[in-house]
Amino acid sequence: MRRNWWRWGLGVLVVLAIFFPSTAWMHQRITQYKTNYKTPLNPTIMVPGSSASQNRFDSLITQLRQETKVAHSVLKVKVAENGQLSYTGSIRRGDNQPFIVIAFENNHDGYANINKQARWLNVAFKDLVKTYHFNHFSAMGHSNGGLILSLFLEKYFAQTKHVAIDRLMTIATPYNMESNSTTEQTVMLKELIAGRKQLPKQLTVYSVAGTENYSSDGTVPANSVNQGKYVFQNQVAHYTQITVTGDNTTHSDLPQNKQIVLLIRQYLLHENLPAKDRAQNQADTKRRSVTDETGLP
Amino acid sequence: MTGKRQPLRGLWRFNQRIEQWRAMRAIKEAFRVAYPFILVMTLIDVIGQSLLTNNGFFFQIYHVGSWLPGLDLWRQLFQVISLVINGIVAVMVAFTTGHYLARTYRGDALAVGVMSALAFLTLNVNYEALNTPTRGNGDAIPQFMENNLGPQGIFLAVVVGLVVGWFGCHLMGWLGKWALKHPQWGQLSWTSRVAWPLLIVLAITTGLGYGLSWLNDGGLNGLVYQGLNAMVTNPGHQGVMILAVTAINNGLWWLGLIGPVSLAGNSSVTSLQNLAYAVQHGSGWHAPNPVTLHTLGDAYANFGGAGMTLALLLAIWLGSKQASYRRVANQTFLPNLVNLNEPTLLGLPLLFNPILLIPFIVAPAVNIIVAWCAITWKLVPPIVYPVPRTTPGPLIAYLGTGGDWRALLLSLICLALSVAIYLPFVRLGNLAGGEDHAA
Repeated sequence: MRRNWWRWGLGVLVVLAIFFPSTAWMHQRITQYKTNYKTPLNPTIMVPGSSASQNRFDSLITQLRQETKVAHSVLKVKVAENGQLSYTGSIRRGDNQPFIVIAFENNHDGYANINKQARWLNVAFKDLVKTYHFNHFSAMGHSNGGLILSLFLEKYFAQTKHVAIDRLMTIATPYNMESNSTTEQTVMLKELIAGRKQLPKQLTVYSVAGTENYSSDGTVPANSVNQGKYVFQNQVAHYTQITVTGDNTTHSDLPQNKQIVLLIRQYLLHENLPAKDRAQNQADTKRRSVTDETGLP
Repeated sequence: MTGKRQPLRGLWRFNQRIEQWRAMRAIKEAFRVAYPFILVMTLIDVIGQSLLTNNGFFFQIYHVGSWLPGLDLWRQLFQVISLVINGIVAVMVAFTTGHYLARTYRGDALAVGVMSALAFLTLNVNYEALNTPTRGNGDAIPQFMENNLGPQGIFLAVVVGLVVGWFGCHLMGWLGKWALKHPQWGQLSWTSRVAWPLLIVLAITTGLGYGLSWLNDGGLNGLVYQGLNAMVTNPGHQGVMILAVTAINNGLWWLGLIGPVSLAGNSSVTSLQNLAYAVQHGSGWHAPNPVTLHTLGDAYANFGGAGMTLALLLAIWLGSKQASYRRVANQTFLPNLVNLNEPTLLGLPLLFNPILLIPFIVAPAVNIIVAWCAITWKLVPPIVYPVPRTTPGPLIAYLGTGGDWRALLLSLICLALSVAIYLPFVRLGNLAGGEDHAA
């Protein structure tokens, strides 16, 4: 009889020694699955600069569709001043790489306005996540659109849990506003630098500048674009600066610039470019990686 | 015996009659001899597969990788032993079957046993390797179809053992008589009495194997498996189809055709879709594929391996008075806990055992029906998270649903049901103790 007690006790002990560790293991695995899981839907969110509407990127998208032979569908969102959203277009069923253009009714320039636009962007973003259930995305901002995106990432992005940003490309984004100075920091740059700890650690950033001459693309000073390094460098996983020169490099032409379209395909959409496109791209662009400063002219 | 027990009584008599057959006795004897070898191999496999490999159950839950020194060395040692024995189980069975059958014919048992082992090997030579010794990438092609020499070759080994055992014995007998009638040819030595039948047997099996190599790449075994695979690979979402496939599969296991359907199909498309859904929505409720072979069969009808053998062991502990059954149950409990049930199948033996065939097929079928009802009536969510193949049966559903206690309850109900189904058949075996053996 006493031996039986021993046996039962041992059996119960073995069951417990298997049950509890396995339960703990299971919870650990499930969190792992959840963090590693990426939705097939992987939109690219595009934010135009000041004075531009939600149709700003139409010619860029047309070019991208032609060149990539993928019929990326386009959803356009316009945010009114009171935060109301109006949608045009749609994400086609089965299209996992759609473009979402987010524009603002009040699209004026200026520090205060850009901050407002970042808040409006957050309203639109939350609504998109709720509707389409994506948990990762990439973003592209032209001119002040890049500032809006950066501010959004620093101040509001953490509000949306379980969503990650993979890559951000800013095109001719004046991180130091109109200032050509390399020493003076405007309020905007100061704010971005102050909040840079909030940037997602896994993010990869490409900052593309266009230059007509040695100092500017006609609107935004090259120095202002370069100041982005004080925001991103050593904060995000990778930060790469690229300068494009040649034809079509005035500020407003940049999104349609052939080289920049190739850069978008290669870096933002992670396409495997055909060899001839890649070669052309490398010949025409001067790439400067911040991690490789000795290559600077 | 009450009237209710009458059909079981009939089954018992049927079993008694079958056991008189020479072939059945040979098969049983072959398994009896092979059992200790397979037991040792499986116990080593239990440690190797569940404790040392990356996707082993105990490796994962006890985080063995982080504290065991010299992990790679341990792995290699266990792999070597398991490879050696696991790799040639079927050859052993071919030998023991032929050996025992020859003994009943009072033939030269050892010679015939070796003959049938060689015949089995010739049927599994990789003829492709003879023409082109290396693949396009320079790898040498193995000269034998190694998979067929392991547990999945047992059926063919039994057949070859029986045929060669019978044929070889008679051939040697005829040769002896013929030599006596024709003394002018001289005295027939032992060597030539073995050599000539061996030549004939090998000529026949080589011809057979070569002919089959024109038909497909996997030899005779491959042919059978290919046919079965085509039939049962994709049972789809219908409960009835899943039921039929599992029943057929278990019937084949009973014949020694082990594993034509890999029930551990964790990585199939439907499972991945379910996983994706669960990860997004937090649980498996309303997953896109609630009823699949994986969510029913793997989760609720495969405790201990095909045929719910874990329930069979519990039934033996509860109801069997046969010493040999109880001994095998004790020895094979650990392997059954991690779903390696080959030693149980050979040790009892369950293979070719007409009494245990019925619960072996019925118990999983009943479990699948119960699980199907529970899932379609939304009483439990389907399993969505992958679990290691060596997870103890009753925990698979609990862990696979992400810790749903209803799934655990259903698992325990399924286990109890299976024990109840096995119990009368196990008790039937007690009659053997009462009548013949007087244990």
